[in-house]
Amino acid sequence: MQTMRKPARVYWVTPAVSAAIGFVYLIGFTIGGHPLDGLAGLGVMLLFGAGLAIAGRRSETVRGLLDRRDERITGIDLRATAFTAVVLIVAILAGFVVSVARGQSDKPYALLGAIGGLAYVGAVIWFRVRT
Amino acid sequence: MRERRTAGGLSQAELAQQLEVSRQTINSIETGRYTPSLPLAIAIARFFGSTVEEIFDADHA
Repeated sequence: MQTMRKPARVYWVTPAVSAAIGFVYLIGFTIGGHPLDGLAGLGVMLLFGAGLAIAGRRSETVRGLLDRRDERITGIDLRATAFTAVVLIVAILAGFVVSVARGQSDKPYALLGAIGGLAYVGAVIWFRVRT
Repeated sequence: MRERRTAGGLSQAELAQQLEVSRQTINSIETGRYTPSLPLAIAIARFFGSTVEEIFDADHA
């Protein structure tokens, strides 16, 4: 893990991505004929990004998550992300089983499970080759 | 590590700033809840003008 100084702009990546996702919401809802919902989505994501940036000024943990300078906090982020993935996998499996048990379509659970499985295998191969 | 830091009159926040990590990380290392990576362990040892083996006890990592 790195402890070297990283450019300050790294700090703004997550808030910027939040804003970008908000604009994608706006485009999607506008195409779907609901521009006001898109504006609401954009507002939520802008507030979320701004909230993160402000919280990073006060909280060492949030700052570490944003600027990626602290190896311990980066490790915590990695483990938290893995835990989140496990929760999502369990939710997808449960949704799949409940759905097919009710005689309903396996979508979207089967598709989400397939995407997750392929992403995992791809990531293992990628990191196996690179490290 | 805590002994060397306090001997140098440094606070956890000051050492954290020097090493470009959070104060929480310094505290976690000193209390044995976190084992630093090799690059950070080397950076800490160099900061104190010592070696990794002298700063960290591998038997209690």
